Amino acid sequence: MVLLSAPRWLRSRLTDRFWRVQEVLKYARHFRGRKNRCYKLAVRSVRRAFVKSTKARREKKRFLRALWITRIEAASLEHGLKYPAFISNLIKSQVELNRKMIADLAIYEPKTFKSLAALAQRRRQEGFLAALGDGKEPEGIFSRIVHHY
Amino acid sequence: VAKTSLTSPPWPEVKLPDPVEEAKHHAEVVRKVNAMIAAGHYGRLFAVVHFASKQWKITSEDLIMMDNVLEAECGDRIRMEKVLLVGADDFTLIGRPLLGKELVRVEATVIEKTESWPKINMRFRRRHNYQRKKIIVHPQTVLRINTIEIFPSL
Repeated sequence: MVLLSAPRWLRSRLTDRFWRVQEVLKYARHFRGRKNRCYKLAVRSVRRAFVKSTKARREKKRFLRALWITRIEAASLEHGLKYPAFISNLIKSQVELNRKMIADLAIYEPKTFKSLAALAQRRRQEGFLAALGDGKEPEGIFSRIVHHY
Repeated sequence: VAKTSLTSPPWPEVKLPDPVEEAKHHAEVVRKVNAMIAAGHYGRLFAVVHFASKQWKITSEDLIMMDNVLEAECGDRIRMEKVLLVGADDFTLIGRPLLGKELVRVEATVIEKTESWPKINMRFRRRHNYQRKKIIVHPQTVLRINTIEIFPSL
């Protein structure tokens, strides 16, 4: 005869509880205190650790960029230029190095960084001269200098 | 006329050097660098290359790992074309923004194509019974830079 439903003494019991617990505890083994041993505390800590690492991956980019900018500022001040002047004049001279590269060059290739600083300085001076223009007053406009004829 | 705060610009007055003299000086420098390159008086060359949407500072015998797939088999030689800067001990060639292809040649070989270690993405909102866990494995490629060569065509 065919039994259509399972008898009551046949239960489905959890047999791999150990491994399910170990899956979580393996990420908590280097934590401090009871949260590296006790599952209930470890679950909370591991969850927070994962969430923090997810968010940190996005902040790492911001943090590293700020670090590069600080390093470039320090290096360019050694050559007598401030960071905004340096970066803006490099961009105006069509040099498309990003901040990571310029920071690496400032650390490992000082002579190259010096030449980049000189390039930026020269472009800055050319910009100043271009801004002054001819030095003549524009036509048809009253100026402070009133001519008495 | 009396001097006010606006008579002269806030930056110190600059004088550029004489353009004729400057042109002579520039030609001299270019000639010297060309001679050095032609004679081979440089040690190790480094280059800044734009590859896989990132900039890398590379020398020969360098290993590079990128977080994406390259459509080349393992062992293929690759030439990197977007070179931004090439330098040696005594001279640097700065591209505006790129250097010419007949000036620099950067060769690399694809060594390895693997996957990254499994990274865990977790989102959790407290008191709202909301948590999502995702394991991300993305492909990586490892390249070895074989040579960087420059040719005296300045």
